[in-house]
Amino acid sequence: MERQFNLGNGPAPADFQQKLKIVVVLLVLALTVLLVRLWYLQMIKGDELKLRSESNAVRFRNIQPIRGLVMDRNGSVLVDNRPSFDVLYMPTKGVNPDMLLQKIKNIYETRSLGFSSGNPFPKTVKPYLPVRLEKNVSMEKIALVETNAVDLPGVYVDVTPIRIYLDGEITAPIIGYTGEVSKEELEKSGEDYVSGDITGKYGIEKMFDSYIRGRRGNELVEVNAFGKVIKNLGRIDPLSGSNVVLTIDARLQKAAWEAFSGFTGSAVVMDPRDGSILAMVSLPSFDPNLFCNGIDREQWQKLQKNPLTPLSNRAISGQYPPGSTYKLIVAAAALEEGIITPSTRISCNGSFTLGNRVFRCWNKHGHGSVNLHQALVGSCDVYFYTVGKMLGVDKIAEYAKRFGLGDVTGIDLASEKKGLVPTREWKLARMKQPWQIGETISISIGQGFNLTTPLQLVRAYAALANGGTLWRPRLVSRIVMPDGSVVKEFVPEKKGAIQLHKQTIAVLNRALWGVVNEPGGTGKAARRPYTDVCGKTGTSQVIGLPQNEKARRAQKITAFHKDHALFVCYAPMKNPEIAVAVVAENAGGGGAVAAPIAQKILNAYFDGKKAKNLPLRQPTVTDS
Amino acid sequence: MIFLKYDRRIFQNFDWTLLALVLAICSIGIINIYSTGFSTMSDVSPLYLKQLQWIAVGLLFMVVAFLIDYHAINHAAYIIYAVSLFSLVYVVVFGHTANGAQRWIHFGFFLFQPSELMKLSIIIALARYFDDHKSNEPYLLKELLIPFIMVIIPFVLILKQPDLGTALIIAIISASMILFIGMNWKSVTIAVVSAVVMMPVAWHFLKDYQKNRLFTFLSPESDPLGTGYHIIQSMIAIGSGGFVGKGFLKGSQTQLKYLPEQQTDFVFSVFAEEWGFVGGLVLVALFLSLIIWGFKIALHSKDLLGTMLSFGITALIAWQMTINMGMVLGLLPVVGIPMPFISYGGSAMVSLLASIGLLMNVSVRRFLLLR
Repeated sequence: MERQFNLGNGPAPADFQQKLKIVVVLLVLALTVLLVRLWYLQMIKGDELKLRSESNAVRFRNIQPIRGLVMDRNGSVLVDNRPSFDVLYMPTKGVNPDMLLQKIKNIYETRSLGFSSGNPFPKTVKPYLPVRLEKNVSMEKIALVETNAVDLPGVYVDVTPIRIYLDGEITAPIIGYTGEVSKEELEKSGEDYVSGDITGKYGIEKMFDSYIRGRRGNELVEVNAFGKVIKNLGRIDPLSGSNVVLTIDARLQKAAWEAFSGFTGSAVVMDPRDGSILAMVSLPSFDPNLFCNGIDREQWQKLQKNPLTPLSNRAISGQYPPGSTYKLIVAAAALEEGIITPSTRISCNGSFTLGNRVFRCWNKHGHGSVNLHQALVGSCDVYFYTVGKMLGVDKIAEYAKRFGLGDVTGIDLASEKKGLVPTREWKLARMKQPWQIGETISISIGQGFNLTTPLQLVRAYAALANGGTLWRPRLVSRIVMPDGSVVKEFVPEKKGAIQLHKQTIAVLNRALWGVVNEPGGTGKAARRPYTDVCGKTGTSQVIGLPQNEKARRAQKITAFHKDHALFVCYAPMKNPEIAVAVVAENAGGGGAVAAPIAQKILNAYFDGKKAKNLPLRQPTVTDS
Repeated sequence: MIFLKYDRRIFQNFDWTLLALVLAICSIGIINIYSTGFSTMSDVSPLYLKQLQWIAVGLLFMVVAFLIDYHAINHAAYIIYAVSLFSLVYVVVFGHTANGAQRWIHFGFFLFQPSELMKLSIIIALARYFDDHKSNEPYLLKELLIPFIMVIIPFVLILKQPDLGTALIIAIISASMILFIGMNWKSVTIAVVSAVVMMPVAWHFLKDYQKNRLFTFLSPESDPLGTGYHIIQSMIAIGSGGFVGKGFLKGSQTQLKYLPEQQTDFVFSVFAEEWGFVGGLVLVALFLSLIIWGFKIALHSKDLLGTMLSFGITALIAWQMTINMGMVLGLLPVVGIPMPFISYGGSAMVSLLASIGLLMNVSVRRFLLLR
């Protein structure tokens, strides 16, 4: 029965005519049905529908979901929700908004209460979208509005959940804050948001918004001329957001905050075994609760214009010269490259001469003849000038990159900075100038172009502590549903390895122990009885004044020009479980200022381990 | 360029009726869009002006589609199809997203919607295929494999955007053309049965909101949120129009913006509110005349190619118009099919007017000799 194509000229015109007749009959039939329906709606149901259109009383209302909680690693609640009472106005026919507003003000006046905002009405009031007149009002105002409901057509009180940040500014740089979705966010997101939705604006609230947010519900109600609901036409319940469990230990976080109080800068605590961030403080900070009801312009300006930038998280976006903490990397490079052995001795008489330039050691009397161990313990600059010069800038950069410097760590927070590991190529591209050998000398002690974030520093030292693994810093351990079932689990993630020989690591380990525990060590302020703490101090110059010049002007140096104090450490020496980086801006010497802060954090950690089972903060029960 | 050779008869036999009908419908569209934008006239570029611009561009394309002999267009049929297909793929990869759907390509000052072009392209491509493979017998299923592939690719691409309405229109138009040229009864049965079997699979591909719309249709007032809201407001608007309507610019549902999507899918509700049953009747009569006129052109074409082209184009207009009205009147689920020449939309207007040019092309050339 195989049939070939091209057997004819296609169906005969008569055939088409027949089919078209059927088509036209069907079409006329369909159009008749449509016209009958039109007749039915317009003529039979017409009057009824006309009435409905005149008092169009069908109102659509979004119901905000309850955002997920944020908890610390032990399940203690850091961010909760509480009810906020708002006064809303549903545009109603025959009501003049200005008169209405005046009426409300008059009613408030009777109890000498003021109306909190200016004119809340937008330019175009849509008849089915409510206008929020006042946010988060007191019980007194609610009572006034409710009792005067007859005089205030279309005005009603609504309850929405709002955020409460229990640790306020202590956790603000990590957790961030929420706010009403902005116009740009609305445009970018497509159908995800509608105007008036609450969204995360910063920190964890922003990065994990899709989990925390939950799903908006809505309802459609029919109201009478006074705006009172007379019929519920349908409701979709909102779905609560999921809870975020952080790797942060709230008690340690608080201890770090207290240890740091009075300084500007950041401290980061990491578990070197898996990269979990146990604490991360950045000072000065801000109170995220200010944002919950829409921050007012004045307060916002104050935060924005503060020269100490309280809105930035210094742990990830503060970039500092690492100072002597960088010597660890230069030492590792020199050992691995065979430039020195642990016993290589270099003589320090207090300064190092290159051509006609003199580079000074911080100890102007000199360290005498020192080996690597002694050079690290005493933080001898001349030793590292000499070794750094032999290595060259690019070799140092190679090792710095192995330790994860000069690149983002990949933590789950926005606006993380890369820091800077200078190379010859970089300088030529950036400054159109060849590399100067003198710059290598500065680099060797973590000065010059070098920039690192506190998070990068703690991760680099944690890598040495754990035998070489560079972890992706973990801030969120899992996301769970309100009922406790796990939505997503974040497992520790290896980002790389520092690739050092075992002996190299052992030598450096012992030297860092010496820094804290040997006589003459610069980090002795971090010493703890019964715990072997390893660490390295750093004091980084803010402006590159020559040492002698600087000494001369020491009296005049203002607060902003004082040195940054750094200390990075880990403990215990055997099987380390905690690594800490402390960077205190313009605070002075690392050993004198930063090491004691680190010691307090270490104390809180090791003492806290003994005192387990403290009561946890439970979430409040909120109904919507 | 023999196809562009001047021939007096082209103008002597010009199809003025067709042009008049189309322009009449377009004018109603403009008046109506003016009304939808009336309460927000402060906008820099009111929609009705934009729509007028699109009509001007569309008329240009219409003239071009009219002047080039449709046999020449037929030569390029597969190229046109390929270009449309490419732009659909482009949309999937780089397209502009709005309202959660990725349907547009950014062309500097305007957004181009390739799926609208595809509607016309698939008609041209199928006409070409059947012209190349003429048969006196009804077609068997296996002979329709290539047309099937030609349809299914754009269908899936458009469904993915997601744009259920346009995907359905592509499928319906193609099915109409195949049934029109003739398909073996047994083959029709097999095709229908397998389509029914495929239903659950297709359901799986639908987005949640599309499923919701279909559910909503099945139980209209039980879910008055989302699409239910659209339908309720649409029916209130239409019903309140009464016999003669509330009058131009007087529709309260429209002017108070209760009515969603009023320039696009629900444009007929605006019209029915302001012009009443009388207006609706006039509009339906105009469309019916246009469609019957189109079928007449199909019947009187001197070759199969012309018949298939004009049938496909006319069927496109007929289906879209009927489905859109059914949807707005609450008789069909809301699937997002605009009303031809009336709904706002540049790509649709240009491609529709180009189709009309093609229809005129066939209409006029029945008086000319073959090459």
